[in-house]
Amino acid sequence: MWSTFVSAVGFGVVLASIISVAAMGFTIQFGLTNVLNLSFGAVMTVAAFVAYLANSHGVGGWSDLAIGGVAGAALTLLLGRGIFKPYARRGAQLFEMMMVTLGLSLIIDYAVQAISHNNIYQYAVLPSRPFQLGAILITHTQLIIVFISIGVLVGLLALLRLTKVGKALRAMAADPDLARACGIRTGQIVVVTWLLSGFLCGLAGVVYIINTQSVGYTTGELFLPLVVAAAILGGAGSPLGAVLASLIMGIVTEVVSAFGSDSYSTVAGFGILVLVLLSRPGSVRGGQAGHTQLTL
Amino acid sequence: MTAWSYYIATLTVYFGVDVLAALSVNLQFGFAGVVNFGFIVFQSVGAYIAAVVVLGPSSGTFQQYVFGARLPFGVALLLATAAGAVLSLAVGLFSLRNIRSDYQAAILLIISLIATQVVQGYVPLFNGSNGITGVPRPFGSLPLSLQGYEWAYAGWVLLFCAVAYALVTWLSRSPWGRALRAMRDQEDAAAALGLNVTALRLQVFVIGGAIAGLSGGLLVEYIGAWSPDAWGYAETFVIFTSIFVGGVGNYRGAVLGVLLVPIVFLELPRFLPQVGYPGLMDSMEWIAIGAIWMLCLYVRPQGILPERRNRARRASGKAAIPAEPAEQMEPA
Repeated sequence: MWSTFVSAVGFGVVLASIISVAAMGFTIQFGLTNVLNLSFGAVMTVAAFVAYLANSHGVGGWSDLAIGGVAGAALTLLLGRGIFKPYARRGAQLFEMMMVTLGLSLIIDYAVQAISHNNIYQYAVLPSRPFQLGAILITHTQLIIVFISIGVLVGLLALLRLTKVGKALRAMAADPDLARACGIRTGQIVVVTWLLSGFLCGLAGVVYIINTQSVGYTTGELFLPLVVAAAILGGAGSPLGAVLASLIMGIVTEVVSAFGSDSYSTVAGFGILVLVLLSRPGSVRGGQAGHTQLTL
Repeated sequence: MTAWSYYIATLTVYFGVDVLAALSVNLQFGFAGVVNFGFIVFQSVGAYIAAVVVLGPSSGTFQQYVFGARLPFGVALLLATAAGAVLSLAVGLFSLRNIRSDYQAAILLIISLIATQVVQGYVPLFNGSNGITGVPRPFGSLPLSLQGYEWAYAGWVLLFCAVAYALVTWLSRSPWGRALRAMRDQEDAAAALGLNVTALRLQVFVIGGAIAGLSGGLLVEYIGAWSPDAWGYAETFVIFTSIFVGGVGNYRGAVLGVLLVPIVFLELPRFLPQVGYPGLMDSMEWIAIGAIWMLCLYVRPQGILPERRNRARRASGKAAIPAEPAEQMEPA
């Protein structure tokens, strides 16, 4: 009973690492642009496929992560400038934007399905023999994933706290109009946001398939609600909050899965998302300043 | 010719069910501003309830489900409608709050996902992923040919459509309907005028849910089976695309949209030559739905048949939208 709990917590930390990379990307994008981007999962899938293609052509291991990240960044920038911005210019508000991202996710998901011939492909790139770490049975792959997520967190915090770009990002997330008035080039910062959050999105996609060792068009379909829940629970725009919330989501999901069944763990994750959406400050219509407008 | 007749009759049934769905969604979205992205759950609960109520008690070996009361199909339809209403009351009570519209839509979408997981996970409820089958057809004992029955059922469904259409049009023209539109357009002003906005929203949600449940009951009594594959969260988008194309907030447009999108557009690939591998056309259909969706949002958010503004005003020659009054407020 106790050992089940401990190993569930261990799996929860691994799941949390995977969620956290995506959640950090989502929270940066959402915190700054205020777009509830439900096509985030679809972009993860595309980046995962790009990494798979790179891998099947001989490029292996760590380069796959970089390639997936770059693919995610490029696609997100393309979508941000080519799709979201024109819609915003035509007067789309928060809600219409979310509808746009939904339609986009339909198109991307099924385009991936069409191109991949609705197949699932194997992606075994790192050795995965389990070994004992205290009371937890863990594989090398999972340990590497945990370290990747810690690395991403540290890198992101360094970027946000120590660089000028980071300061501009934080300023824009807090109050875009004031940031613009202070002379921050908001257009450029939005581009940086797309690239940064897109890179993390792509990275998260590759990390996800490294863990599941397979890639198909439904990769990340049930994953996105967990990511959105973690991002919003942790506070939009806060990477550290996203990581802490991911830990909560991951551990709750795995513990429910260990003591209940798999379906219930998914329901628990979804349930947390619903509760978070209902109760988080900034949820109320016409809420705090900066949270009712799109910044694109 | 018989094959064609069979095909058109089946299409008519699906058309009727989709019209009911579109009326439900249009009532909730077009008139009350509630985006019910979890619509399919309410149709599905109606279908499940109708199915388990018409079937006999669960044997437990072939398929497991609750109830099993072997009631007549008419009662089953009533219970399906009631189930849709009750579920939408429950969902509406906790999710129809004063929150950001994109959060609200996301919440209802997530509820659809939760429902799928719950039904798949808890098998004794509705037989999990395998679903329920063997639902007998209503009026099966009538001396009708196979083809005659299909057309009779199509007529039966269209009858319900006509009744529902009359009901929602009448509701929309009533003072209640005007209150809904006031709430949709300027909620704060409506509340200041004394309209109970929360109650209105809940009422509309429940009525829409009842119609959705009815559509599910009619559908399951035709198909004879119902499983989670039939009610993925994406099915809701087909209905929403129909009302976008036809015109949000007007019912003739909703009917036109249903004719154009699920019937004409989604059936068209059946007559085109096979391209690519089997299953490619299905993917392309969903891509096309997404593309139509985004195109409608970009080009004409109000749809093809825009809502008819004040007929009386137009008849008397005045402008549909009055010009801004010229007088300024005197400073106190």
